[in-house]
Amino acid sequence: MDELDDLRDMVRNLFDDRASSERVRAAVDTPGGYDTGLWHTVAELDLLGLLVPEALGGAGAGLPEVAIVLHELGRRTVPLPIVSSAVLAPTALLGSDNYALAAEMLPTLTTGERRAAVIIGGPEGQLSPACWALQWVERHGQYVLDGMAGFVLDAPGADDLIVAAHGEDGLLVAAVDAQEAAVTTAASTDRTRRLGTVSFDEVVVPAARVLATADAAGVLVARVQSVAAFTTACDAVGVAERTMEQTAAYAQVRQQFGRPIGSFQAVKHKCADMAVAVECSRAGLSLALDALRRPGERDDAAAVAAVSTAKAYACDAAVGVCTDAVQAHGGIGFTWEHDAHLWLKRVLLDRALFGSPSWHRRRVADAVLPAETALAVS
Amino acid sequence: MERESLERFRTRVRGWCEENVPKGWRETQAGADDQAVVAFQRQWRATLQSGGFLAPHWPENLGGCDMPLVEQAILAEELARADAPRLSLYQVAIYNAAPAILHFGTDEQKNRFLPGIQHGEVWCQGFSEPGAGSDLASLSTRADRRGDAYVLNGQKIWTSWAMHADWCFILVRTDRNAPKRRGISYLLMDMRSPGITVRPIKQATGAAEFCELFLNDVEVPMANRLGPENEGWQVAQTTLASERGVSILELAERLHRNGLEHLIESATGWTMEDGSPVLADPAVRERLAGFHGEVQILRAMCQRLIESMVSRGGVGTEASIIKLYYSELLQRLMDYATQLRGLPGQLEYQLLLSGGWETGNWLGDFLNSFSWTIAGGSNEIQRNIIGEQHLGLPREPRAPGES
Repeated sequence: MDELDDLRDMVRNLFDDRASSERVRAAVDTPGGYDTGLWHTVAELDLLGLLVPEALGGAGAGLPEVAIVLHELGRRTVPLPIVSSAVLAPTALLGSDNYALAAEMLPTLTTGERRAAVIIGGPEGQLSPACWALQWVERHGQYVLDGMAGFVLDAPGADDLIVAAHGEDGLLVAAVDAQEAAVTTAASTDRTRRLGTVSFDEVVVPAARVLATADAAGVLVARVQSVAAFTTACDAVGVAERTMEQTAAYAQVRQQFGRPIGSFQAVKHKCADMAVAVECSRAGLSLALDALRRPGERDDAAAVAAVSTAKAYACDAAVGVCTDAVQAHGGIGFTWEHDAHLWLKRVLLDRALFGSPSWHRRRVADAVLPAETALAVS
Repeated sequence: MERESLERFRTRVRGWCEENVPKGWRETQAGADDQAVVAFQRQWRATLQSGGFLAPHWPENLGGCDMPLVEQAILAEELARADAPRLSLYQVAIYNAAPAILHFGTDEQKNRFLPGIQHGEVWCQGFSEPGAGSDLASLSTRADRRGDAYVLNGQKIWTSWAMHADWCFILVRTDRNAPKRRGISYLLMDMRSPGITVRPIKQATGAAEFCELFLNDVEVPMANRLGPENEGWQVAQTTLASERGVSILELAERLHRNGLEHLIESATGWTMEDGSPVLADPAVRERLAGFHGEVQILRAMCQRLIESMVSRGGVGTEASIIKLYYSELLQRLMDYATQLRGLPGQLEYQLLLSGGWETGNWLGDFLNSFSWTIAGGSNEIQRNIIGEQHLGLPREPRAPGES
C-alpha cells in the first residue's frame, strides 16, 4: 500500500511540475503531439515498463501501478502515448507464447526508444471481429495482411504496430513495423490524444512476428480489449477527480450575490454529486482491477461484468462530472482559455474509446441475465 | 482464542442460516398484524442471539463477540443470501442506543442500560419534531430541572416503533438562551413514565411504525442524562454516524440479493404488451445491467468503508456518500421494478414489516424507499455535509444566534 502511495505522489508531483495547463497546451501543438522530454523522463522513471518483467528490463510491477499512473495522466490530461506503448502492447506481448518476440520488443518499448500502437478494432473502432476490415491470409508459411483499421489510439508516430486481423481460420495477432503500413492522423476533438487510420496493402508478416492465431488469438484480443476498456476508466476517473477539485475550489472563491457560489445549494449539491460519482467510480475500478489481476481464477462472466461495469460507470460518471463542471464555472467555463473544455473533451473520448457504455452494459447483461434464447415467448 | 479462517467462518454461518432462518416467513408474515410482527421479531431476535449473531460488534462483556469488521461483512452477506428476516424492531437498540451508551455512558449507566438491551428491550429515537426536521438543532422540546429530575414538555415525531418501545433516547432543550446547538441535552427516557402519549402515524405505505410522542410533564431523572448537560448535540452526531456506519453493509447485501437478484428471477416470467419476455428487451437488459453494476459498486464501497474504518478507526464523509448513493439507488431500482411489473404491480399489497426494504412488492418498496431518502438526515442534508466537509465549500449563511 505504501509503495503505491509513493508511486502516486511521485507521478503527481512530476505532472504537476511538467504537465501544467500551459505545458499541455504547448505539447499538443508540437508535430508529435506530446512533450518528448517528458516521454524520456517517464521512461527513466520506469513508468513505461511497469508491466514488463525485470528480466526484460522492466519494473516488474502490475495493473495496480498502471492504474495509478493512468489516473494521474487523466488528472492533468497529459498527452503521452503511455496507454498504447506501455500498457496495451506489453499486455499483448506478454500474453503471447512468442517469448522471443516479446524479449526482442519489450526492452525497446520500456526505454521509450520505440513506441507501439495496438490495433484491436474495425474501421470505426468496432470491437467485434465480424466488423473488422483488416484481413489475413496464409501464403507459403507467411501471413499477408490487407485492409485497414480506424481510430487507432497513438498510431501516428508509432514505430511498432501490434495488429489483430480477421481471417477464414479465425483471428491473428502479429507485430508489424509501422513503416510497412500507411498511417494517417485523424484529428480528434480531444487534442491531448492522437488517433490514426492505418492501412495495410498486402503486407507480408513472417511467422516469427506472429503472437497468436486462432483460439489463442481470440483469448489474447479479448484480454487486450478488457485492459483497454479498463485504461479508459482509469483515465476518466483521474480527470473527474481533478475536475471535481477544481470546481469546488472555484466555487469557494467565485462570489455572486455577495457570497461564494459554493454556499448556494444549487452549486454545492452539484459538487456533492461529483464526489459521489468519483467515489463510486473508484469502487468500480477496484472491482475491475481485482478481476483483471486474476485471469482464470474467477469465472469469466463475473470478470467481464466487473470490467465492463467499471468502464461504463466511470465514463458515464466522468462525462457527467465534466458537464456539470462547465456549468458550475459559468461563462468562464465555456471559454477556450479555461481548461474545463479540455477535461470534458478528454472524457468524451474516453467514453467512446474501446466500447461505449451501452455496449459494455450489454456485455454485463449477457453475463448476469438469463440468455434471451432461454426466455419463453408466450 | 485463535480465530477461525474467514472461509471457515463463512461456512459456519451459512450452515447456521440453513438451519435457523425460519422457512416460509415471507408468506406467513405477509399482512401479519402488529402483535404477530412483534412476536416474530422477538423470536428471530432470540434465534440470532442463540447463534451469537445478534450484535456481533459488541464487546464480549456485553454478550457480543468483538467480531472483526471483515467477519461482520461476511455475516451480513450470508444473512442476505439466506433471505433472513430483518430485525427491524431492534435496530435502534442495537445500532444506535448501545453504541451511544458505550461511548458516552458512565459505568453506572452502562451497567444499568446495556444488559436490558442485551435481553431484548426495545428502544426508540426521539430526535425530530414537527418544527425540527432537517434543521434538527432548532428542536424545542424543553426540559426544566425540578429537583433531581428534568421535566419534559413537547412533541417528537417519526419515532419508529415507539408503541412497542421500553426506552427512548431523546434530545431536549436544556438552555433556551444558548446558541441552538449548545443548549441541547441527551436523555434516556423510560417509555412507561407518566405523561407520555404515543400516536402511530399511518404512512404512505400503509404501515404505521412511525409515531408521534406527546410529552406532558414527563419526569426523567438527571442520572439518565448521557454526556454533559447542553452537550447532547455531540452525542447525537456520534449516534447518527454509527447509524450510517456498519449497518449499511447489511443493507447493501440485501439490495443485491433480495432486491436486484430477486427482481431478475421474478421478471423471468414477465411479459411486455406484445407478449414478448420483458428480459428479452434490449433496453430492459441494458437498464438491469446498469443496476447490476451500481449494486456491485455499492457493495465495493461498503467494503472500502469497512477497510477505512479498520485502518483509521472512524467514519468520515464517505458514510454520507454511501447513504446518499444507497438510498437513491434503492429508490431508482424499486421505481424501475414497479414499471417493469406493469399493471399486476399496481394491485394492493400486504405489508411485510420484517422484509425491510425488499419485500418483493415493488410498488410498496418504492414507496418505502422514501424513508431512506428522507430519514437519518435527508439527502439534501447529506449533500450539504459532503459539500462542506468533503469538498470544503462554505456553509449556508446562518440565522442570527446560530453557531
